[in-house]
Amino acid sequence: MLSRLPVRLITKIFVGAVRGAELARAAVHGGFSCAGACPEFRRDGARSILTREIKLLGACALLLAFSLTILVPGVNAAPLPQAGTPTPQAEPTAETGSSPLSISDQVCLGCHGTPGLTLNLDNGEVLELYVSAEDHNASVHGKKGYACVQCHTTVGDYPHPPFSAADSRDASLQLYQACQRCHTSQYELTQDSVHAIALANGNNQAAICTDCHTAHQVRQLTDPDSGELTPEARVWVPQTCAKCHNAIYQKYLTTVHGSALVGEGNPDVPTCIDCHGVHNIEDPRTAGFRLQSPLICSKCHTDPQLMAKYGLSTQVLNTYVADFHGTTVTLFEKQSPDAETNKPVCYDCHGIHDIKRVADPEFGLHASENLLLRCQKCHPDATANFPTAWLSHYIPSAENNPLVYYVNQFYKVFIPAVLGGMAILVLLDFAKLVRTRAGRPKLKGVALPATVELSPDTPGSVELPPEIPADIEPFPGTSAGTELPTAPLAEAADLAGESQPLPPDSLPETPEAAEGDEQVSHD
Amino acid sequence: MKPTTPPLPPASEKVRTEVHLARFSLGQRWEHAILILSLTVLLLTGLPQKYRTAAWSHSILSTPERVELVQQIHHIAALLLTAEVLYHLGHAVYLLARRRLPGDMLPTGQDVRDAWQSFKYLLFLSKVKPAFGKYNFEQKFTYWFIFFTVGIMVVTGFILWFPEVWTRFFPGGIIPAAKLAHSTEAIVAAVFIIIWHFYHVHFERLNLSMFTGWLNARDTRQYHPLEYQRLTGEPAENSETGEGQ
Repeated sequence: MLSRLPVRLITKIFVGAVRGAELARAAVHGGFSCAGACPEFRRDGARSILTREIKLLGACALLLAFSLTILVPGVNAAPLPQAGTPTPQAEPTAETGSSPLSISDQVCLGCHGTPGLTLNLDNGEVLELYVSAEDHNASVHGKKGYACVQCHTTVGDYPHPPFSAADSRDASLQLYQACQRCHTSQYELTQDSVHAIALANGNNQAAICTDCHTAHQVRQLTDPDSGELTPEARVWVPQTCAKCHNAIYQKYLTTVHGSALVGEGNPDVPTCIDCHGVHNIEDPRTAGFRLQSPLICSKCHTDPQLMAKYGLSTQVLNTYVADFHGTTVTLFEKQSPDAETNKPVCYDCHGIHDIKRVADPEFGLHASENLLLRCQKCHPDATANFPTAWLSHYIPSAENNPLVYYVNQFYKVFIPAVLGGMAILVLLDFAKLVRTRAGRPKLKGVALPATVELSPDTPGSVELPPEIPADIEPFPGTSAGTELPTAPLAEAADLAGESQPLPPDSLPETPEAAEGDEQVSHD
Repeated sequence: MKPTTPPLPPASEKVRTEVHLARFSLGQRWEHAILILSLTVLLLTGLPQKYRTAAWSHSILSTPERVELVQQIHHIAALLLTAEVLYHLGHAVYLLARRRLPGDMLPTGQDVRDAWQSFKYLLFLSKVKPAFGKYNFEQKFTYWFIFFTVGIMVVTGFILWFPEVWTRFFPGGIIPAAKLAHSTEAIVAAVFIIIWHFYHVHFERLNLSMFTGWLNARDTRQYHPLEYQRLTGEPAENSETGEGQ
């Protein structure tokens, strides 16, 4: 915006006026005549008056254009489609007939400056065509020297082109299109807004540019130096929205933010647009808006400088995100932004427009019973103790939420103690194992105390007490083909292929074996 | 006898047999299997819920429906674990009532002495390896660690599952405390099982007795000499000194 070229601005002004003039040349005035109201504006004399005006205005136009370029850097000069056309001469050529800037506001005000000028619309409504020169001159456009025809590009000549509208709203809907010629980026933003969508869906009451900014009394809202909203403009914003959303405005006025704005003129508190956006106002009733709403609040509530002014915590977002509800909302916000969830976001507890101080004696959430009411929206069975399950945005400490704090302290000691001690024992054990195995590789093979060696002819020499529920597994490699004469050994040989020991249940039970089994069967 | 049959080994060749001693009953092995199943499912469904801020968790819990599903699986596995815990406790009480509860698993002063002796042994400060009974101090530690861990997990889990009920009787602070304990204890337990238990039963030596029910006599004699002695009546001391160095 600030880096525009002066040439572009001049081009825009000229080209706009050229277009207007060209259209106006073919125009017929529709619906009414203003010859009476404009005595010097005779139909047959119009051209000659214009020619005379050109002489005066030609040089002025060039001067004006340059002065605008220098003095008014804040003017939005979005490029026009015809930006490539050559800059018209200040002196009218034979072809154009009239200079683009030949029609001064005085010409327009000659008719439109008189109260009572009206147009009958199709539905019988009477459209007021009077424009107060004072209003226009006091507006941001008037102050910067914009002429009527720079917006009303189609009516620069007389007679005006035909204009018809079903009703006054229809007239507004036609005329507000002029805004986008200069304010293209803002207009494009509005196309994503809830208002534009409602309009496209047939609600012609949905807000358009002029509903908020007015047509002829457009106010300067931002500080030209900083680009920020001026403190007065911050107060105007909710008043503007209140034109349609009055019930919400009345609620807002009673809240911690609204009362500070309206009562104290505090520029730190949010107005409507700080949460809802300026031109691309999103539908706040969607699941997507809900899931990302914590980020709206946290814009201010995690700002250390801003919060320090009011002694507020900046931990509200991370403590929320660290808890059940917040982690889940954050997860969905990232993964499925349109998911419906009943997990609470900031405004479910703190209120949507009726946001009170948490210390508010009547409605504040510091009062447990107020918080309980919020909990019960989703936890209908919650009782008086329940709200303290929420850590109230505190980071647990010995004073706040001591139970959580001490559990945390316990694990800070317990985890290193258990895992560290365990790791040391395992490492020592492993070191011992490696050294023992490496140093005495044969030792285990030699000392197999429970391995008894049998020859087929001496099965009875198994030196085991009878009460052992023993599964005798022949040594692999020699067992498969060996026929053993005794019954237990034969059984073992059958099993050798699977090399699985016999389950205790399938063993031939002797009283001793059953007893032995009983002894070891439980801890 | 057919001519194709491979020749039998000479009658003089000796056959080595291995003796297996009963170690775990069928019921205990089933309990262990249920523990494995339920703890694995609980861990797999719990980790994404714990690490909800991590990218890998986001890809699992991407929609409310999936979060719901993971929670339901977690709850079902939790019920299985709870049933197992109740059975285990009930069985112990039943045995206790009939004065048949074996004391093998109870911690004793001997375990402390064994632990100290093992520590010295592992540091090569002593050549004597302590002789263990049916369960050595490490196995008892494993059991009781898992016992209390599961206890904490079950109690805190039910607190988190039914916060409205618990806060009727307890202060609300138990909910976030339970959440912290539940998610931290889970990690402790998982690391414990992976480092400690897996090391001892898979790495140090492959010990599948919890699945087969049997431990061979050699291992019983080497690792549980007192138990070997009790079962066989045969002193294991000689082999112990030979084995343990």
